Amino acid sequence: MSEAPLVSIKNLHANASDTPILQGIDLELRAGEVHAIMGPNGSGKSTLSNVLVGKPGYEVTQGEIRFRGEDLSEMDPEIRARAGVFLAFQYPVEIPGVANNYFLRTAVNAVREHRGEEELDAIDFLTLLKEKMKLVEMPEDMMSRAINEGFSGGEKKRNEILQMLLLEPSFCILDETDSGLDIDALRIVANGVNQMRSSDRAMLVITHYQRLLDYIVPDHVHVLSGGRIVKSGDKSLALELEEKGYGWIEGIEEEGAAS
Amino acid sequence: MSAFVESIDRARQAIAAHRPDVPSGPLATRLEALRADGFAGFEAQGLPTRRDERWKGTNVSKIADLAFERVGVSDDVGNALANDPRVAAFEPDVLFVDGRMVQASAARTDLPEGIRILSLAEAATEIPDVVAAELGGLADAKVDPFVALSDALFEDAAVVVLAAKAHPARPLRLLSVTSASGNASAHFSRLLFVAGESSQGLVAFESMSAGDGPGFTSLVSEFRLATDAKIVSVELQTEAADRVHVSQTFAALERDASFASTVVSLSEGLVRSEISVTMQAEGGSTWLNGFFLGRGDAHHDHFTTVDHAAPHCTSDEEYRGVLTDDAEGVFRGRVIVRPDAQKTDARQSNPNLLLSEGASIDTKPQLEIYADDVKASHGSTIGQLDDDALFFLRARGIDEETARLLLTRAFAQKIVDGLFEPGIRALVSERVDDALARLEERSP
Repeated sequence: MSEAPLVSIKNLHANASDTPILQGIDLELRAGEVHAIMGPNGSGKSTLSNVLVGKPGYEVTQGEIRFRGEDLSEMDPEIRARAGVFLAFQYPVEIPGVANNYFLRTAVNAVREHRGEEELDAIDFLTLLKEKMKLVEMPEDMMSRAINEGFSGGEKKRNEILQMLLLEPSFCILDETDSGLDIDALRIVANGVNQMRSSDRAMLVITHYQRLLDYIVPDHVHVLSGGRIVKSGDKSLALELEEKGYGWIEGIEEEGAAS
Repeated sequence: MSAFVESIDRARQAIAAHRPDVPSGPLATRLEALRADGFAGFEAQGLPTRRDERWKGTNVSKIADLAFERVGVSDDVGNALANDPRVAAFEPDVLFVDGRMVQASAARTDLPEGIRILSLAEAATEIPDVVAAELGGLADAKVDPFVALSDALFEDAAVVVLAAKAHPARPLRLLSVTSASGNASAHFSRLLFVAGESSQGLVAFESMSAGDGPGFTSLVSEFRLATDAKIVSVELQTEAADRVHVSQTFAALERDASFASTVVSLSEGLVRSEISVTMQAEGGSTWLNGFFLGRGDAHHDHFTTVDHAAPHCTSDEEYRGVLTDDAEGVFRGRVIVRPDAQKTDARQSNPNLLLSEGASIDTKPQLEIYADDVKASHGSTIGQLDDDALFFLRARGIDEETARLLLTRAFAQKIVDGLFEPGIRALVSERVDDALARLEERSP
């Protein structure tokens, strides 16, 4: 099986606000796979997710990111989103004055238009919305409220997953989606994510803790440290990391540097 | 002599000939005095200059250089405009066309109970003493040249009277339309709103242009609120790019009365919008909300005054401004707390969005506090659209232009959300959406 990878990251170097953070990342995700990236604070996890979606202020200085064979780094964020790249934000922004349902419909129709599908009218959209909301156990009144305004931490994360369910991206990046979640919210969010697992979709789950990976079981686990992937393995690597702590990784790095 | 003042002199005779007849009596006598004092007041003061502290932010020469050719309008134009789709959609209870009241009284038989809407001629037979006492009672021609001009030149006034305890189920809608006549016009509309004890009501007033064309639009509104009256005033300013629009609202509140004003200013020309509220007895509440959107060469000057003349009154003010292209904005929020006005609670804020390099805002609160037991706060901000919010929307597939529009609309939403009456809220929403859509058209 030598199918081309859905996402191919080669020798990626990137700056955040002119500071070099990523120091040469190589990573391939095939359709159907779930990869987890773990690493200590400051290892470059969030920079990687921001670079992948093209956030202003993050700059690729070397290497490339290919999505379905196309170079992502020159595409505007909205073009990446329509092409099927999605980031569930670590800190979802509150936008007073923009109703959630209006925003979601605008986003869904922007993506549908790109795919050559017909726009959804208000009624069809509402049907779709209600169906997806059930999956993340969101009460209906949250839809007429402004985007994330007054939402709890868990509600914001569920709203992110709802957006993912509606937009049906083929490359999903989850940036520390488990941070600030209690065990019930974690279960709901993971359940939403697992609904999205499919053979034509790849996922990159970025997390500091192993806990999330009990719910979203990855095919591959990578350890990020100092802006590079220093170790890769299967799901047992996450457990090993949990047991030994990130200090273990620093040991590996030093070994690597010495050899 | 400026072109503007020359135009007034020329128009003077024509205006006198044009006015509807008012039966003789106390009101006719009052009108005569009002007009004479108006002329005298304007002659004594002349147009304001930038040396006038109240006019520092606005280039008054734009008004001084304005030569208008005509005042008033024939009935034919008025009747034709009454059938204009935009006018009909507004469903006006009162329609002014170029300052002339053209809505027939017969059209007002469906008014809710407890409300009367009268022209001056009707008021002269029905309630001459009330109107003679109140008209021009709050707007002072001696200290304000534009009030003087209105007193001198207005043809007719809409007189709205709410009976004690009246609480009409629907809002009143008043509309002033500038006809598209080809030549420059000046017109003067007038509203006198008398709210009886414990009455409640909502009045919406829009000043719009039926076409392009230069000229001068004046609106002077006076609100007299008796004890415990609760009145909501919504004003929409949507005049065309070449017009100068001076709107002056005065309100006086008796004990426990409340006055909630929302001004939504989307004009593309020069706007000077004044509101002056005096809480003259205990327990008064004032809300002043505003949204202004200026594009092109628009100039918006919002000058508000809240006078806490009695103890235990509250005022809460928020004006939100969006300026783009080369538009200029001015906000002055005067709050006066008189020596007796203890336990005053006065809040004010003026957040602004500047969407282009060429746009500017000049914002200044003016707090004059003479009492010592007072809570007062104010704040102005000037900013751009939030980068994180913009990126979030783009990261969900929404193009940058649409995302900017959404966020600009969101900025206005807080003011729209302050309007609870669904019909008026929908009307204001639609006007704001239209104005924002025009913003998009022009962008590269």
